[in-house]
Amino acid sequence: MMVNALSCFLKEKVTEEEPVRDEDVERIGTAIQKEINAVFGRSLAIRELDTGSDNAAEIEINNLSNPYYDIERFGITFVASPRHADVLLVTGAVTHNMAIAAKKTYDAMPSPKFVIAVGDEACNGGIFSGTYAVLGGVDKILPVDLKIPGNPPTPKEILAGLLALMKKARGAT
Amino acid sequence: MIPVPDTTKSWLIDILGPDIPVNRVAQGTGGEIYLRISTPDFPRAVARIASSQFALIGLFCAEAFENTKGTSILYVFEKQENLLVLIPEGSGTLPSIARIFPSASWFERECRDGFGIEFEDAFDTRRLFLHEPYPENFYPLKKSCVNAPITPRSNLGPADEYPFRKVSGEGVYQVPVGPVHAGVIEPGHFRFSVIGETIFNLELRMFYKHRGIEKLMEGREPHACLPVAEAVSGDESVANTTVFCMAAEQIGEVTVPHRAWYIRSILLEMERIASHLGDEGGMLVDVGFPLGANQFSVLREDMMRENDRITGSRFLRGMVCPGGVARDVPDAELANLAAFLVRLKKRFQVGLKIVLSTTSVIDRFATTGIVNRSLILPLALSGPVARASGGTEDVRVSHPYGIYGRYIPGVKTLHDGDVLARFTVKAAEVMDSLDLIERMIQEIPQGPVQGNFSARDGYSLALVESARGENLCWLWIRNGRVERCKVRTASFCNWQAIEHAVQENIPPDFPVINKSMNLSYAGTDL
Repeated sequence: MMVNALSCFLKEKVTEEEPVRDEDVERIGTAIQKEINAVFGRSLAIRELDTGSDNAAEIEINNLSNPYYDIERFGITFVASPRHADVLLVTGAVTHNMAIAAKKTYDAMPSPKFVIAVGDEACNGGIFSGTYAVLGGVDKILPVDLKIPGNPPTPKEILAGLLALMKKARGAT
Repeated sequence: MIPVPDTTKSWLIDILGPDIPVNRVAQGTGGEIYLRISTPDFPRAVARIASSQFALIGLFCAEAFENTKGTSILYVFEKQENLLVLIPEGSGTLPSIARIFPSASWFERECRDGFGIEFEDAFDTRRLFLHEPYPENFYPLKKSCVNAPITPRSNLGPADEYPFRKVSGEGVYQVPVGPVHAGVIEPGHFRFSVIGETIFNLELRMFYKHRGIEKLMEGREPHACLPVAEAVSGDESVANTTVFCMAAEQIGEVTVPHRAWYIRSILLEMERIASHLGDEGGMLVDVGFPLGANQFSVLREDMMRENDRITGSRFLRGMVCPGGVARDVPDAELANLAAFLVRLKKRFQVGLKIVLSTTSVIDRFATTGIVNRSLILPLALSGPVARASGGTEDVRVSHPYGIYGRYIPGVKTLHDGDVLARFTVKAAEVMDSLDLIERMIQEIPQGPVQGNFSARDGYSLALVESARGENLCWLWIRNGRVERCKVRTASFCNWQAIEHAVQENIPPDFPVINKSMNLSYAGTDL
């Protein structure tokens, strides 16, 4: 124990470079935070729902929590249950196999609630539109408030989409 | 098709015995051997193939194949570098081979859903990728079924519920999880049967994301299939487009320029690094060690930004195409990439050191979620999951494609089969991929990156090693368009190992076991 403490003082200090500060992320994030403070009582709870994506959009949404974006500092949290969520972030075209679970997830959310379609397939079915296995975009089964196109959209584009939704929500109240 | 030498015939006789005729045999352009046998000979042939230690890595249907009436069923067996495709001929139903090759069970259910094929004496005839909303007698992969929107069944009652295996006994209770999970992950249903805190049984139900990938490819020209191949699984975009293009190129006997193969291989290895970095971070999140997790999630984001810089896509999309790659990567860019990877390597080692010297992490990783070595062959496991359990196979070594004959990866094998072994194997593979890329960038030749590709008719089997393991693509082109494309990702087989790996573990360890196996839902559900 003693050796450890001593070596902490004596050892050469290792510092790592800070990840490059991304001004766009800061700007969008700060703007979102302002909107969240005004409309959502300082915290926005998001539930992610995959209705048939190719998992690229999930990866980008997960990336929003890495130290580069760290969107929790702007008041945004991903919650484990739809019962705690303000926003449903939906990825992928809606498959027949997921349609029932997707509706149940939406129904479990308290009002007021918002739905964002993330990625081309969630927006309008993308390459799967008109095939046997999918119903189409998310708007086939849920009222969609905002669409973020992309294959998949980047974390920054998703963040910009959230800001657009916040502004829209403020306009509605 | 290439006629086979006599040595191949005697090799087949060695396996199958003298009483099964091997005269209807041909070699495919991917090096695979096609053997047609009569239906009555089939059970004997399968039993002998099994005793020769082959794995069943694919089982799928094709209609009106080679002027045969009805539906042909192709069984793909693999043993090291040998690929044998068995095609039973003649009328009558075939017996289920799931008792001999357990990996056949999902495959047979898949054939049943897609084509309405029944297998005699099958022990599991529940629907697989067609869930309750699909009408009865609907077989989407048949040619007679047009790929158009259907009306799902709406009046579903309790009687339509999927029958899970019943596990009963004193103190056994069920924990149903999914399809919508607590985290930002893909949908799937896990039915745990638990005694006290210990998992006694797990049954998976997948295919919530069935998007009809294989049907969607049909009728398209090979180039038009690339967005579909990329959508098989987002983080395997390069591997799945490469395996598709390889099959198309083998059929057309297209020579892919050297420089194109260098770029493809660099992209394949970059994809592997990004995928493994994500896993390593994810495993650490699941044991509550954010300090370590963030080391890797930062590196993963850096890697994805580098992907974007090199190819214009964070998922390396839009690069691989039939005949080569869509555009060249200038040498200056490659030099920057090499410099970036040197920095990444140093930081990766720092992260590893932090993790592997943290006892609380080792305590959670070690002895958790053991995949027994004896499962590798029956379930056709591949990739880091198999190599952490004593497996020694890597497609890049057993079926070297492109330039992998010159750039031989070091196959890292461990024997514990637990989460720690998978973490360590993936770490070793990241280091190995970094070395491979470094060497490739040093030695990349000048020249074109596009060969003359034109779709020729025929069929071929291709395999690649994705980050998750062996991905298979069997492609059949007719009149310049895809007639049938069978995609089987490593995840399809590896998923079934998790039912075994979680036994005698506790439900809270399930997320880390799942993450350590890095199974793609999208790549399985197709």
